[in-house]
Amino acid sequence: MKLNRRRFLAATAATLTMPATIDFASAEEKVIRFAMPQDFTRVYTFVTAEYSQGQRDYITLVNERGGINGYRIIADVSDHGNDLPRAIEAYEKAKREGAVLIDPLSTPVARALVPRALEDKINMVTAFSGRSDAADGTAFPYVLPLSPNYWTQAGLLVDYFRQQDKDLKGKKIVFVHIDTPFGREPLPILQVLSQKLGFEFQAFPYTPPGNDQSAIWPQVRRARPDWVMFWGAGVGQTVAMSEAVRNGLPMDRVCSSVWLSESDMDVIGREQVKGVLKVEPCVSGKDPKPVQAIINEVVSKGKGAGPENKVGTSYYNYGVMMGAIMIEGVKKAFERNPGGPITGLWLNEGLRSITNFTAEGMIPPMTVTKEDHQGGGGGRIARWDGTKFVPATDWFAANQDVVWAEIRKSSEEFRKSGK
Amino acid sequence: MDSSLIIELAINGALKGLMYALVALGIVLIYKTSGLANLAQGAIAMTGAYVTWAIAYGVGAPIWLAIPLALVLMFGVGMLIERLALRRMIGQPVIMAIMLTLGIEIMLRGLLPGMFGSAVKRLDIGIPQAPLFVGDFLINRATLIGGSVSLLVILLSLVFFNSRYGVVMRAVSDDQTASWSVGIRVERAIAIAWGLAAVTAASAGILWGANQGVDWSLSLLLIKALAIAILGGLDSIVGVLIAGLIVGVVESVATGLIDPLVGGGTRDIAASVIILLTLLVKPHGLFGREHIERV
Amino acid sequence: MLYRRAGLRHTRYEDERQLWPLPFDRGLVVLVLVVLVAAPLLVNRLYLVSYLLPWVIWSTAALGLNLLMGGAGQIHLGYGAVMAMGAYGSVHLVRAGVPFEFAMVGGGLISACVGIVFGGAALRVQGLYLAMATLAMQYVVDFVISHVPMISGGTQATIQVPTVRFLGIPVAGDLPTYYVALIICAIVTVFILNVGRTSLGRALAAVREKDYAAEIIGVNTFKFKLLAFWISSFIGGVAGSVLAVCYLRAISPDQFHIELSIQLVAMVIVGGLGSVLGSFFGAALILFAPIVLNNLIGGIADGLGLSISTDLRSHVPLMLYGALIIGFLLWEPLGLAKIYNNVRNYFFVWPFRHAQR
Repeated sequence: MKLNRRRFLAATAATLTMPATIDFASAEEKVIRFAMPQDFTRVYTFVTAEYSQGQRDYITLVNERGGINGYRIIADVSDHGNDLPRAIEAYEKAKREGAVLIDPLSTPVARALVPRALEDKINMVTAFSGRSDAADGTAFPYVLPLSPNYWTQAGLLVDYFRQQDKDLKGKKIVFVHIDTPFGREPLPILQVLSQKLGFEFQAFPYTPPGNDQSAIWPQVRRARPDWVMFWGAGVGQTVAMSEAVRNGLPMDRVCSSVWLSESDMDVIGREQVKGVLKVEPCVSGKDPKPVQAIINEVVSKGKGAGPENKVGTSYYNYGVMMGAIMIEGVKKAFERNPGGPITGLWLNEGLRSITNFTAEGMIPPMTVTKEDHQGGGGGRIARWDGTKFVPATDWFAANQDVVWAEIRKSSEEFRKSGK
Repeated sequence: MDSSLIIELAINGALKGLMYALVALGIVLIYKTSGLANLAQGAIAMTGAYVTWAIAYGVGAPIWLAIPLALVLMFGVGMLIERLALRRMIGQPVIMAIMLTLGIEIMLRGLLPGMFGSAVKRLDIGIPQAPLFVGDFLINRATLIGGSVSLLVILLSLVFFNSRYGVVMRAVSDDQTASWSVGIRVERAIAIAWGLAAVTAASAGILWGANQGVDWSLSLLLIKALAIAILGGLDSIVGVLIAGLIVGVVESVATGLIDPLVGGGTRDIAASVIILLTLLVKPHGLFGREHIERV
Repeated sequence: MLYRRAGLRHTRYEDERQLWPLPFDRGLVVLVLVVLVAAPLLVNRLYLVSYLLPWVIWSTAALGLNLLMGGAGQIHLGYGAVMAMGAYGSVHLVRAGVPFEFAMVGGGLISACVGIVFGGAALRVQGLYLAMATLAMQYVVDFVISHVPMISGGTQATIQVPTVRFLGIPVAGDLPTYYVALIICAIVTVFILNVGRTSLGRALAAVREKDYAAEIIGVNTFKFKLLAFWISSFIGGVAGSVLAVCYLRAISPDQFHIELSIQLVAMVIVGGLGSVLGSFFGAALILFAPIVLNNLIGGIADGLGLSISTDLRSHVPLMLYGALIIGFLLWEPLGLAKIYNNVRNYFFVWPFRHAQR
């Protein structure tokens, strides 16, 4: 027994005193570092694995083709588990290694890192998450959503309803959301729009993480809504959809934010939720040219970062999309300052000069400027037909005036109080 | 407020409460025999769901075979946990053992999603999704089946506790030393209690997994189960049943009634408020027995 | 041999009662203090900000919790909520213009007073029930903070911490934040070290061992338990405010969740109930184990050329973290402090092995 104890303690001591191994690139190597500490284990588990796979596969594709101007892109992927000390440690490590971009894919982590990113001049990309008001580039120079934020998504959905119904006056829109800041974010936009367009609006929050919504959906049913929006993540989404089916709500009047994918459909049963809608920021499936290129040059050569059956799913394509935008930023940075040096500031200039970028047809034309870090807020609505997501509209942007009013309001507050 | 809405919420809430009670049953079983609250119960439920999924989808066995197989496996897992971990803690203060179960919970929460992948998994046990209408009330079919199964299991356990071996376990929970002295094999009884608790947790995990998909959030069932166990009395099975109904109904109806006033999320704290009120008013729960500590 | 006890002859009662009667111990303490104060010069910035600073802050919180758990023998599963209240309270006070020193104390007072409401209700019951009550407190406080926009800060639900001045020096950048945290930690450590020697500490020890026996000999158990709760929550609140200002700089409600409470309880238990040194060791282990393991697994995987799926890799720290807790509880329930004591006792009589202590 004593021997066991000693062994255990000695092993523990040895493990903990072993120096942490860090992958240092030698100074002569031409590399550009992207740090990608993301949440693989706690809250964002539903999306991170596929998203990260997409990102890494795209970066591998770029590296396989020779990198950009001879520079290799290195993606440092690690897990922060949505835990702030670990996230801050990952951030500091990234900073020390000279990363010029960080993608935390987590709203609480992004929020906590904002002061540091702004101070240290490291570009923080907050795809579909983070602070919605970071779209205002003048207040948040180093925080770039580069994707339609939640306010824009809500605006797109409401506009789609208007397109379908011609006039929303007197109609009823119900918003079922997870009871967290993420879920409550679209509320101000929806309230403004309800006054502007004359529809009746009701919100039903559910407890996170949302595995028990049985008390919400009977109320939704009784409210007899014309349109239902559900806003959650992971488990919340699948339970919401199955409850909607069980309560007999028509699926083609039910829609969600971007956080809906084939894996969620799998959980409920693909046939069951035919007709459900979602906001799509990029083309899904294996058709887009970047995904085809990845399949031909990366996955078939066995260099894929994950299982092959996940290539082309919604979240995978989100990762590819964000990877493509980041690489475009690098290209633009080289165009503006070919000599480097490779710093956060250098990349920042590049990211902010992306013009009409479509990622070979995968996304609506996106233009990032010093003022607009969102990229225009274009997206489209897609419908689930039982096997895949089919676009129901063209690329469009809508209600951006309302959205930007809200963004400015919030960023003003940040400017006054923060930093 | 709409009375038919309240009734509908109450019915669905009662059924959901029964499903939570299934997890609480395991907690009560373990408390009765080992005297500690098993904080790993939610994680064991999650493990049961993952194991069933692995057998059904990984190996490809049909679901009616996978479920009994998984339950048998989980019985073994429960006994294993007791033998390896808890037995060493016998002399220690109870807080250590509770922390140990917490450590087990963390480890399981890392192990299972790590082994099987962290994306939400589908567990289909053949419940149709179509709504079931009784008059004007909509009853969630999955909840109905889940609630009935839980009720069945709880009643079964009540019957079990009146059988011969049930009496043995009650003796063990009452006084271990006295049971030893009359020749009862106490270690065996405790091991079986743990195994049974794991089985009930696993069946709860399967029911919930079929409802919402299998992933790590199944381990969050623990909090509700604890609320039910405390309300009903940590050593009473009848208490678990009644408390399950109460907690389920209160949660559902509170969501319907109070949410619009407060702006949401009352389901969240309904369980916590119930715990606090119980501890204030009747610390040992509705049906629990008072522990008299002797000097 | 190193801890020379021969020749130590005390001539005054004060010498007998000092915290560290052995000169070796005193030297060790001075060395540690010097190293900690000179840390910004000795270690590079990464280690300072991501390792030393959180360690100091979390140790402060663990010390507060240890007073309650080790000193008074009560379980508290809601310490995250206590820190949350301290953080939010002090940040709101600072934004309202109150100087930081007072805001810290104010945050501590808020935590103490709210904590005592829940604590008072729960102190009627023992052990397990108290744990459940504090767990319930964690959720209720979480709910209140995130649902009252005045507290949580509106739709963005994140409050930026404005730059504050501590004793005239602006707390911004690495060095001032580190030193502020260090000063607070030092004050709390000295307090906890001395609590055991006062009548309060002795009363708490009596309550911890057998509370009805203490009641019989005249110690008002309820009052002392409540006092322990109050002091512990106060320290937690102060630790929370230091956390918010020095480390997080932007607080949102989901940062003080149940995982934080469990982490702190684990720190206290792994470190050793009731021991000051144990709180530091426990905080270091629990805080750094996931990070170190993450790097280690990554290093091994790259070094050996294995490609472990990211899914598995990212769950390994969680697995090993749980395994560590289980391992310590099974094999060394008295925690890291006991291990340290064992090592120390070994060196008392080294190179002899079997001399009685």
